[in-house]
Amino acid sequence: MGLRSTLRYAVLALLLVGLIAGGALWAQRRQPVIVTALMPAPFAQATEPIVATFNRTHPDIELRVNRGPFETESISDLAISSLLLGDSPYDLLLMDVTWTPKYAAAGWLAPLEPLLGEDALAGVVPGAQEGNRFDGHLWRIPLVADMGLLYWRTDLMAAPPRTPDELMATASRLQRSGRVRWGYVWQGRQYEGLSCVFLEVLRAFGGQWLTDSGDRVELGNPGGVAAASWLRQLIDRGITPRAVANFAEPEALQSFEAGDVALMRNWPYAWAELQKPGSKVRGKVGVTTMVATSEGATAATQGSWGFSLVSQSPHPREAALVIAALTSPEVQKDLARRLGYTPTLSALFEDPELVAANPVLPELRRALDHTVLRPLSPLYAQLSDILQRQLSEVITGERQAPAAMERAQRLSNQVLRASGVGTSAVEATP
Amino acid sequence: MRFRRLAVLLVLLWSLLPLVWQLYTSLRTGAALVTPQPGLAGWTLENYRQILTGDPPFWRFLLNSTVVGLASTALTLSLAIPCAYGLQRQPAGTRAVISGVLLAAAVFPYVLLFLALLEVARRFGLANHLLALSLPYAGLSLPLAVLLLGAAFRDLPPELEESARLEGLNTWQRLRWVLLPLIAPASASTGLLVFLFSWNEYPIALTWISRQELLTLPIAIARIAGSSVYTVPYGAFAAATVLGSLPLLALVVIFQKPIVAGLTQGAVK
Amino acid sequence: MNLLLTLPALLLLALVFAVPLLRYGWLSFHADSVITGLQPVPNGGANWLRLIEDERFWQNTVQTLRFAGLSVALELLLGLALALLLHQRWRGRTAVRTITLLPWALPTAVMALGWRWIFNDPYGPINALVQALGQPALPFLSSPASTWFVVVLADVWKTTPFVALLLLAGLQTIPSDLYEAFALDGGSPWQALRRITLPLLLPYAFLAVLFRLAQALGVFDLVQILTGGGPAGSTETLALYSYLTAMRFLDFGYSATVMLGMFLLLLGLTTALLLGRRWLAGGRA
Repeated sequence: MGLRSTLRYAVLALLLVGLIAGGALWAQRRQPVIVTALMPAPFAQATEPIVATFNRTHPDIELRVNRGPFETESISDLAISSLLLGDSPYDLLLMDVTWTPKYAAAGWLAPLEPLLGEDALAGVVPGAQEGNRFDGHLWRIPLVADMGLLYWRTDLMAAPPRTPDELMATASRLQRSGRVRWGYVWQGRQYEGLSCVFLEVLRAFGGQWLTDSGDRVELGNPGGVAAASWLRQLIDRGITPRAVANFAEPEALQSFEAGDVALMRNWPYAWAELQKPGSKVRGKVGVTTMVATSEGATAATQGSWGFSLVSQSPHPREAALVIAALTSPEVQKDLARRLGYTPTLSALFEDPELVAANPVLPELRRALDHTVLRPLSPLYAQLSDILQRQLSEVITGERQAPAAMERAQRLSNQVLRASGVGTSAVEATP
Repeated sequence: MRFRRLAVLLVLLWSLLPLVWQLYTSLRTGAALVTPQPGLAGWTLENYRQILTGDPPFWRFLLNSTVVGLASTALTLSLAIPCAYGLQRQPAGTRAVISGVLLAAAVFPYVLLFLALLEVARRFGLANHLLALSLPYAGLSLPLAVLLLGAAFRDLPPELEESARLEGLNTWQRLRWVLLPLIAPASASTGLLVFLFSWNEYPIALTWISRQELLTLPIAIARIAGSSVYTVPYGAFAAATVLGSLPLLALVVIFQKPIVAGLTQGAVK
Repeated sequence: MNLLLTLPALLLLALVFAVPLLRYGWLSFHADSVITGLQPVPNGGANWLRLIEDERFWQNTVQTLRFAGLSVALELLLGLALALLLHQRWRGRTAVRTITLLPWALPTAVMALGWRWIFNDPYGPINALVQALGQPALPFLSSPASTWFVVVLADVWKTTPFVALLLLAGLQTIPSDLYEAFALDGGSPWQALRRITLPLLLPYAFLAVLFRLAQALGVFDLVQILTGGGPAGSTETLALYSYLTAMRFLDFGYSATVMLGMFLLLLGLTTALLLGRRWLAGGRA
C-alpha cells in the first residue's frame, strides 16, 4: 500500500468521522417546555444564580440562558438574524429600549398585556416606564434601569459642574494644575453610545432630535448645532483626548479608573466597577446628572434592558411566567445588592438595605426623573446611524458642526420620506 | 546577495510579526498588556483556560468548522468532478460559454448573495444546521473547482479513455477507475482550497447560524471580542486566534505543494 | 449523458447565483421593510430613484473603488517583488514560500481583530514602539485617513501571497534561454525585467487583477470587524452598506437595490477591464 493510497484512506476516514459527528449534531432536537432566553454576556453571567433558583423552584420549566455578545449592536444583529431565519431558538429576548418599535413593527414580538395584565408596569419608576409600549400594546418589561450619568472625582472638586461652561472650566483648571491628564471622557466612537451621549448634550442646549409628531428631524436647529460644536470644542481645547473618537464605555472607564481623568460620562454599571480593589479612584467618585445650559434641561438618556416575548415562541405562557419571575422585586433586589444594577421598581430605591449597600442609589433615583427617550420609531436604527456618522465627522474634524447637523437633518428626513412612500403604498393595498 | 538576504528577512518579518504578536498577547495577563511588568511576571495560560472552559468550549467551534469544511469539500468534489468531466465532452462552443459563466461566478464577490441565501435558508428550514451550510459553500466553491478540475481533465491524453472504452468500460467505470486516479492530485488541490474557503467563510455563516453551539470558528472568534464583561478581552481573543489558526498552519505546512498547485493551475492553463 | 453529469452542479450553481440575482431584481421594485411589516409591496421605481439620490451610496461607491484600486495596486507591486524573489534559486526558498502563504490561509475575520489590537491606542505594539521613541501615541483607528490605511494594510497583508503565487506561476512559464540570449546581446537585468518579464507576465497580472478587484470591491468581513465602517463612515463599503440596510435597518427592498447597483458597477468595471486587455493585446500585435 503506497503512501498515496494510505493518504486517501486517511482522508476518507476523516470525512466519515466528520459526517458522523455532523449527523450527531443534526440529530440534537429541542425538548418540550424549555424556555430559552438570549441575554448580553454580562446579564447572562449576573443572572446565573437566579436562573438556577428558578429552575429549582419550577420543575415543569427549564430556563436556559444563551450568552450573547456584549455590544448592544452585535446582540441585536444576532437576535435579528435568528428571528429572520424563523424557528427562533429563543423564546425571550433581553432587549435594549430602542429595539422595541422595530421588533414590534416587524411582527417578531408577542404583546404582553394578555399574559401579564394591563397593569404589568404598575410599580415601575417613571424613568423606566417609557419605551415599553408602542402602537397600543405592551411589548417589554424592564429588568434593569439604565441612564447616562456624569461621574466626577470627589478628591479633585468640591462639587460637580452644572453647566457646559463650568465643566470646561473645571476640567481645564485641573489639567493645567497637572492633577489629571484629561478633563472629560465620554463615548465618541461611531456607534449607538455616541447617540446616547449626544442626546444628553442636545437636551442640555435646548435642542430636539425628532419632532413630537415624529415625522421630521430637527438636528439642524441652533440647539443641535450648539451641542455638536460643544463636543468638538472639548477635543479642540484638549479637555477630551482625540482618541475619544474610538472610545466606547470600556475605554472611557479604563482611563477614568486609572485616575487619568477628572470627569466621565457613563452608565450606572461603572460605579461598582470603580469601587473594585484594582481601581485607583476607589472611594473618590461621585455620581450626578449631566450638565445643562439655561436654554435646556439636564437629561439622562434612557438605556434600560427588558424582556420581550418572541412571537414564534411555542410556549408563550411559560415564557411569560419566566418574565414575571425574572423581573420580580426579589430578583431586582438581588441584582442591585450583588452587582449594583439599577432596579426599575420604585419601592426598591427606598429599601434601606440597598441604600446602605449602594450610597449613590438616591442619586440614581433623581437621575431617573430626568430620563429622555431616543426617538420611538421603527426607523430609529437608521436615524441613529445617520446621526452617528455626522457626529463622528464632527469629532474627527472632517466637517464643521453646522454643516454636519444640517446634513444629518436632511438625510434623516430623506429616510423618513422614503419610508413614508412605503407606508402609503401599504395603505393603498387591501 | 546581501540585498536578497535583507529582502527575505523583510518578507519573513512582514508575514510573521503579526502572528507572533498574537501568540505573545495570548500568553500575557490582561494587566501585563496594559502596563509593563518587571522581569518574568505577566506570563499566563489563563487565556487558554478561559476559552477552553467557556460555554460552549472553544473546541466545539473547531469541530463545527471541521464538520462544515469536510462536508463542503466532499459535496463540492462529488458535484464538480462529474461536471468537469461532462464539460470536457461538450462541443467547444458550449464549453467556452459555460467556462465563461464559471469564471464570472468564480470572481463574483459572493457577499452580495447573502440576503437571498438567507431567504433560501428560511424558506427551506436550512438555518442552524451545520451540514446544510455546506450547500451554499459547495455552490460558491463549484465554479473554481470545476475550472481547476476541467483543466486537469484536459491534460489527460485522450487515447487513455479511448482504450478504456474499447475494453468495454462504461462512462461511470471509465471515470471511476481510469480518470479519477489520474486527477487525484488536482482533486486534492481543489479539495484543500474548498476546505480553506469553508473554514474561513464569514458572511453566510453569520446569517445562517444563530445558535451559539453551532457557530463556525470565524464567527465565534468575532463574537469573543464582544462577549466579555466590560473589558476588551484581547488576551482571550488572541488565544482563540492561535488555537483557530493552528489547524490551518498545519494544513498549509503539510500540503503547501498541492495548495500552491491549486492556486496557480487555473492561471497557467 | 455527458450533459447529465454536469446537471447537478449547474443546478446548485443556478440556485446559489442566478436565483438570488433574479430575486434582487424583483425585490428592488418592492418596498419590503419594517414599515411594511416585512411584506413586499410593489413601489414602482422608488428604490432606484432613492439609490440615485442616496449620498451614502455614492460616497461608499467612491470609498469602495478607492479601497479596491489602492489595495490591488499595492498587492500587484508587492506581489511582483515577492514573486521575483521566490523565483530565484536560493536555499530555504520553499520554507519561505510556505511562510508567506500563512497570512493568506488565515480567516479574514480572525486577523481583522488582530489588527484592531495591533493598532490599539495606546496599548498596541505599534504605539508601544512609537511611545518608546518618545512620541505621543497615534490614534490610528480614530481618524478616517489612518483607519483607511490600516484597512488597506490588512488587506494587502492577507492577499499579497495570492497575487505573488499567480505571478510566480507566470514567471515559471518564461523560458530561461530568453534571458540568456538577452544577456548575450548586452542587455542589463533591469532591461530584461522591463523588456521580457513584464510583457510576458501581463496575462497573469490581468488574471490576478480580475480576481482581486472583484473580491476587493466586495470587501465585507474586514471592515465589518475591524472598523464597523467608521470613523464617520469613512471605511464603509457597498457590501457593508447593503448588509446594514438589510440586517440592521430591516429594509430588504432597498438593500437588494444597493446590491444590484453594486453588481452593475462591477459588471461595468469588468467589461472595461476585459476591453482594455483586448485593446492592449491588439496594440502589441
